Amino acid sequence: MKQDKTIGNRLFDIINNSLLLFVALACSLPFIYVVAVSFTSPAQVAQGGIILFPKEWSLSAYRYIFSTDTLMRSMMVSIYITVVGTFINLVFTSLMAYPLAKRHLRGRRTIMMGVLFTMLFGGGLIPTYFVVKALHLTDTLWSLMIPTAISAFNLIVLKNFFQQIPDGLEDSAKIDGCNDLGVLIRIVLPLSLPAMATFGLFYAVGHWNQFFNAILYINDNTKWPIQVLLREIVILASGRIGDTNIDDAEIQPLTIRMAVIVFATLPILVVYPFLQKHFAKGAMLGSVKG
Amino acid sequence: MKKKVHLLSASVMTAALVLSACGAGKEAAVLDGSKPYSLKYVVNQVGEIPTKGNEIEKAIMEYTNTDLNIQWIPASAYDEKVNVMIASEELPQLIKLGYNPTTIGALKNGQFWEVGPFIKDYPNLAAQSEEFYQNISVNGKIYGVPLFRDLGRATLHYRKDWLDTLGLQAPVTLDDWYNVMKAIAKKDPDKNGKDDTYGLVFDKKYNQEAASTLTRLAVSQGAPNKWAVDEEGNFTPEFMTEPYFETMKLVKRLYEEGLINQDFAVVDTSEIDKLYESGRAGIRFSGGNAQSWQDKVIKNVPEAVIDVAPVTGPEGRRLPGETGNAGFLAIPKKTVKTEEEMKLILKFVDQLMDPEMATLLVKGVENKHWKDAGDVTEVLDRDADLKEVKPYRDTMPNRNENYNIEKLAKQPDLFRKSQKFVKENDEFIVPNPALTLDSAIYSERGKELELMTTDAQTKYIMGQIDEAGWQAAIEQWKKQGGNQLMAEYKEAYLNINK
Repeated sequence: MKQDKTIGNRLFDIINNSLLLFVALACSLPFIYVVAVSFTSPAQVAQGGIILFPKEWSLSAYRYIFSTDTLMRSMMVSIYITVVGTFINLVFTSLMAYPLAKRHLRGRRTIMMGVLFTMLFGGGLIPTYFVVKALHLTDTLWSLMIPTAISAFNLIVLKNFFQQIPDGLEDSAKIDGCNDLGVLIRIVLPLSLPAMATFGLFYAVGHWNQFFNAILYINDNTKWPIQVLLREIVILASGRIGDTNIDDAEIQPLTIRMAVIVFATLPILVVYPFLQKHFAKGAMLGSVKG
Repeated sequence: MKKKVHLLSASVMTAALVLSACGAGKEAAVLDGSKPYSLKYVVNQVGEIPTKGNEIEKAIMEYTNTDLNIQWIPASAYDEKVNVMIASEELPQLIKLGYNPTTIGALKNGQFWEVGPFIKDYPNLAAQSEEFYQNISVNGKIYGVPLFRDLGRATLHYRKDWLDTLGLQAPVTLDDWYNVMKAIAKKDPDKNGKDDTYGLVFDKKYNQEAASTLTRLAVSQGAPNKWAVDEEGNFTPEFMTEPYFETMKLVKRLYEEGLINQDFAVVDTSEIDKLYESGRAGIRFSGGNAQSWQDKVIKNVPEAVIDVAPVTGPEGRRLPGETGNAGFLAIPKKTVKTEEEMKLILKFVDQLMDPEMATLLVKGVENKHWKDAGDVTEVLDRDADLKEVKPYRDTMPNRNENYNIEKLAKQPDLFRKSQKFVKENDEFIVPNPALTLDSAIYSERGKELELMTTDAQTKYIMGQIDEAGWQAAIEQWKKQGGNQLMAEYKEAYLNINK
């Protein structure tokens, strides 16, 4: 694309770029710092010498966090609930959103009102806990996936997305002998890949950051996801949460806390770039070719 | 056609439910001792969670004839989880509670056994000082066994090498404090040619909670511990007393002259620790032991020498008494239905303090975590001690090495000196008279009220408000509920001390 190189344009470019650069740095510097600290030797950190690049490299923090299998096990739990949970989310959300997108569905408005209602009024902590308990979900990983299977907000957005798909497409599919489920699986979902990827990412990040529900529903510590562990290690050190016996507790050194943060963030960071391109596609790629 | 959709979703749902598998059925309690008593124990997690059925748990189960099942809850969310458990009545036989409004409410509702009258029947529990139990009482009734901690933990730790270089002693009066603080900040005790050292360093919790630096300093100067009470039962908060205000004035002066860290209002405790450990700060009130500071600081400053002194003011040794517990163990009525069964659990708790169990909880397994070395015991593996023993030491009742322990662990002199002062401290503590008093407005808006005055203190110290502004803040506090708080404390106090 050719641009006018007027002074005003250039000035705009310079200001714009430096502003964006500043924002980008502000976002990434803290994380770079965390990574740097995690690779520095503990003695160096105590002297406060590191800024963005470790002077003395050391893997001791990582050696420590992998010395027991606790962290690895929690990581596996998190990966499991993220993969399986996101799959459940996408299946259920699209199965509900698709019929709701059809104008000929009877009772559509009532169901939509019901969905909206849950967005405004929640049952509250204790009643929700009772429901989960009554379903015998407590102490299982399902308790982290089933109660959050459909997010009302995502459902509505996905419904609107489905509505944009031209009816003509589906009509022609039906003429060719496709049933409703077939239309959804063969026509609608492939056309909605960008949307599915986007929501998949939303859901996945949500599962990855699962913390409070895990504390609430899971008693068996071998089933704790990584965030519970992470929070335990990091919060205990920084806040000391006013408990009288924390004062004499051994606090984990900063390097170890940072290493755990890096370890817990890594997977989602690795996945992100691959899904990110789908965001760019945004709206559907329209075409009414049969 | 629609059927298929239903079928698919229905089958996914069923699969989910089947996979979730139902919980195990409830076991009947065996009370006659023929079979180990099945006991579920809920506590907060300390450090890493030990694997189930490790040597320590096995030894406890064998000694107490119980089938012990410990559920660890992360400390960071302990209270929330316990609140849910109380609300849903999904409780174990023994649970650690904290002394906070929700649990106090549950205690008042009679959801837990009142164990106070039975304590005397259990030798180990009865041997502990009355004060420990008083500090967890609700309306004068005792509902649990505390996880014992020292009542007076505050000691003064300082860089002896610095004070020696400067020709100073550990401070006693407020004037001493000023001189010491000024000397350390300005006379360059570390001889690096820069004014980069502080005496006392404050963090953002300097005037909050049990370990409040300001309260510790003020109490040594004659202030009450959080609240003062006179003979008629009138309550006065510490910040309305003269010695406390004098102490605040000193801190204000220190701040103005740049003798304390200027960012104190926003700094975390862990940041402060770094200053002390890297040899940039020289004196602190501490509930820990001086040896651990010594161990850490010599990594950065090899010539550093730490010493410890009791907290002393113009009237001699004086320090604020703390709660003496890290929560307490309570027995829910929902799961423990009969008095007989409740007694069985109390017996279990009592047994944990028998010599054999006390040694196990405090030191771990012989020849694995510690060994006998003549007059003393020696820790064999510090890492194993922290990972495997500490979780039990911190969450089961014991008096550390102060009770039923035959041989003390071998420790450096500095550690022993610290311990000695802490033990003696029991005689010099100033108790907080409002600690267990019932107040509706406190449960409702206590934190908010506290925030009003702690914020005003910070503003006063930083010079944002003057003395008149501070007085206005007190008036404001009184109007917004302070007066009511004082009145409610008085009423509760008179009710109990009739």
